[in-house]
Amino acid sequence: MDVGLFSQYVMNGLMLGMMYALVAVGFTLFFGVMDIINFSHGDVLTVGAFAGLATYLGLVEIGVSWPPAQVAIVLAVAIVCTAGLGAIVAKYLVLPLKDAPALNTLLLTLMLGTVLHEAIRLFYPLGANPQRFPSLLPTDAYTFGNFTLRIDNMMLLLAGTAVIVGIHLLINKTKLGLAIRAVAQDSETAKTMGINFTLIVLITFAIGSGLAAFAGILHGLYYSEINFAMGLLLGVIGFSSAIVGGLGNIYGAIIGGFLFAALQTIGVLAMPFASAYKDVFAFGVIILIMAWRPTGLIREKISERV
Amino acid sequence: MSDAAQGLLVSHDLTKRFGGLLAVDSLELEARRGEILGLIGPNGSGKTTFFNVVTGIYPASAGRVLFDGEDITNLSPQAICRAGIARTFQRSRLSLSLSIFDNLMIGNHLRLNQGLWFNLVRRQAFEREFEENVARARELVKVFAPPLADRMFEAVTGFPMIDRRRIEICRALISRPKLLLLDEPSAGMTREEMTELMDDILEIKEHVEDLTIIIIEHEMGVIERVTNNCVVLNFGQKICEGTYQGVAADRLVQEAYLGIE
Amino acid sequence: MRRARSLLASLLPGLVSAAGVTVYVILLMSVESQAGVVALLAAGVLAVLAAARFGAVARVARAFAEQENYLNLMVILAVLAVTGFFYEDHFVLLMVTTVIVYVIACLGLNLQFGYSGVLNFAGAAFFGIGCYTAAVLTMNTPVPHLVVLLAGGVMAAVIGSLLILPVLRTRSHYSAVVTIAFSLLFKIFLEVNDTLGGPQGLRVAGMNVLGWEFNDDIEIGEDFEAAFYVSYAVVGLILLVLAFALVRRLERSWIGLNMDAVRLDETAAACFGLSIVRWKITAFTLGNFLIGVAGAFYAMMIGFIAPTNFTFGDSLILVSIVLLGGMGNPWGLVVATVILIIVPEKLQAIQEYRFLLFAALVILILLFRPAGLLPRQLRTYLPGWQPR
Repeated sequence: MDVGLFSQYVMNGLMLGMMYALVAVGFTLFFGVMDIINFSHGDVLTVGAFAGLATYLGLVEIGVSWPPAQVAIVLAVAIVCTAGLGAIVAKYLVLPLKDAPALNTLLLTLMLGTVLHEAIRLFYPLGANPQRFPSLLPTDAYTFGNFTLRIDNMMLLLAGTAVIVGIHLLINKTKLGLAIRAVAQDSETAKTMGINFTLIVLITFAIGSGLAAFAGILHGLYYSEINFAMGLLLGVIGFSSAIVGGLGNIYGAIIGGFLFAALQTIGVLAMPFASAYKDVFAFGVIILIMAWRPTGLIREKISERV
Repeated sequence: MSDAAQGLLVSHDLTKRFGGLLAVDSLELEARRGEILGLIGPNGSGKTTFFNVVTGIYPASAGRVLFDGEDITNLSPQAICRAGIARTFQRSRLSLSLSIFDNLMIGNHLRLNQGLWFNLVRRQAFEREFEENVARARELVKVFAPPLADRMFEAVTGFPMIDRRRIEICRALISRPKLLLLDEPSAGMTREEMTELMDDILEIKEHVEDLTIIIIEHEMGVIERVTNNCVVLNFGQKICEGTYQGVAADRLVQEAYLGIE
Repeated sequence: MRRARSLLASLLPGLVSAAGVTVYVILLMSVESQAGVVALLAAGVLAVLAAARFGAVARVARAFAEQENYLNLMVILAVLAVTGFFYEDHFVLLMVTTVIVYVIACLGLNLQFGYSGVLNFAGAAFFGIGCYTAAVLTMNTPVPHLVVLLAGGVMAAVIGSLLILPVLRTRSHYSAVVTIAFSLLFKIFLEVNDTLGGPQGLRVAGMNVLGWEFNDDIEIGEDFEAAFYVSYAVVGLILLVLAFALVRRLERSWIGLNMDAVRLDETAAACFGLSIVRWKITAFTLGNFLIGVAGAFYAMMIGFIAPTNFTFGDSLILVSIVLLGGMGNPWGLVVATVILIIVPEKLQAIQEYRFLLFAALVILILLFRPAGLLPRQLRTYLPGWQPR
């Protein structure tokens, strides 16, 4: 294989890894503060992508055609939408079930995911069909032999990296981040220290869900297409990445995301004849990892009290 | 060392580490046959962790546990139960949505026929075994909580804390263990309930021959009244042992509890 | 004489309600106009609410608990009555049989997470394994079709056992992701795999037991002719009775108790000597077996199967049924299946929205009535047994 094609694969893998990592960080944040898995997360991503698309169509309608403004507004609206959605989910669906068996929250968020993507399928105009996502970024490209470096892809990668660094700073350097870490560590103690538990949970859900919207837009811009069912696959792989990285561990989640993308890319590279089985391979790997290391490659802190 | 000279439960150099924390630190402990041994110490001193290591919930980091002369270190909880150790839990772990009888039968698991064929097909035989065990359970419950004997087929949710503790103790006793581990049985009880509970524990001793009991307790009144001997833990280490009076007078123990320097 | 009368008195609430429900279902099936269906459904909901308000539901439940055998028989007769009433109507008979098939599959799921707490979000995949087994065996081999039913179940149990290690080693959300991954993997695999027909799917031969060709209409004498679905409804009902009896007996034995203990508190259960692994494997394997049998039967009835029948969404519907009916209550899931299958079929307006509505319904149930429509009762080991 020549270098150009190889670089293309690497680029693909990096983009994929970025998306998985962003989704995984959301999962891990939710688990941190509430010890729950929000299975609707993947579909929240879909909602974000569609909200972005609708915003774009609206902007075109009212005559905003300067791409930088379009990108900024599309991102802002999508993130605000899902952040709000995340907070609502936390307040009205997740928090009320705080003391119920974990199974109930799990089922509830799964069903919520169904509600979200079914609502898109049924109520978004022609929502059952894949939708074309506009390319809003400059498409200039530099060619090095067989490898084409596209400006828009570079911008997406940089933006993704910036968001991840931003999350890192938010969690580690701000007062809000401190409060989130305190709640994740021990919510009871955090409460006695005067931290508003409910508020922190809502904010964490808003942040995590906002990240999902960002990942959804990223997905749309990179593949130029979105559909109502895209969240399921991204959600399951994102969740698996979070597990592999050890639930509750943000850096683990990021590593897990890139690891999964690498595995998938290598799988396709190593077995080009079986590229149709790419997703079968991915899910097989998930099952194998769960059999081998049920609580992830980086261990989650076990805190069962007897 | 002959079998009789040795205690029923002996731990040698038993250690349990959680990351950097030494929850149980080189513990030497012996429960003699037929006694009631009190295990006391401040919160976090490793009492419950000791129970959890003995019953196989946590693997030991180092050291050994001998029960009845056999090494039971790091056996599965199931094997340890089979050897004859039963326990209660700090926070009641009854299955609240099940009936008293169901909970007792979970404790009685090893004495019930668990075969698929027996349970599914041989319903006549199952019926006999069921009736026998209803009678057994009733007999046991009658001793410790007579009013409950007629309410055995009601869900546990409906009963107050003291009754739940009694049910939990019955669940542990029905398997006829040689050693009973009671983890803070008085937690969350009123004075009167506690007095009743102490009577219950002393009554168990009277009714069940050769039973050895280790009891974790914060209520010194309970310890004083029911135990023959006490072991005091602090930071996972044994700091004192002896009768309650002896232990209570010990300077180290007072320091551990009151923080006197 | 006196005894007969008191027996009748204790049976009466059950008899009346069973007869009432039978008539209601027949009416519902016969009504063609959408307005009529809406009116009937509204009347049904009101009647149940009123009955609950005035304690009639409790009385019926007591009657069922006390006189189980008679009333179980009544329910079987009721299903036969509906089947007989619509003996020519393909649409209704297909619906009845579909309900039967779903109940069998959900009984399996109920063993898994209703009793033992073993999550399975790949119900549709195991159902699909039963279907594909039936397709391959009936079209390519002369294996007798009753054996095909068993083979469907065995195949589902065997493939399920590949998942046993991760399922056993994980708890709650972790094991959820294992079965979700399997569910997605299964459908994608079927789509890309050409030997199993790819996205187009496979044909399945109709059932044939000892020369009795199920796919032929039944003709008796000159002027009586019944739709071929009657055969499927009757055999399906027999399978259902067997599955129901199996699940009931399990529940009412020490094994059912073990499963509850494993679900409610693994650590405490282990401390009393229960082997968590043994009972989880028992529940998972038996459950998948039932789901597989249901699948094989369904495939032979429907005659044609494709990967789109076995999506993750379908798995969620199976889970919804168990949850809606009341976890661990076999009668609950009968009621839930009837609602979830028949209502969207009769009410064309909501057909398209059914996934959305089911999911929303389950969310409401989880928030406001987590024990389900018919909450599970305490275990009675022997039917009608009273402590002396």
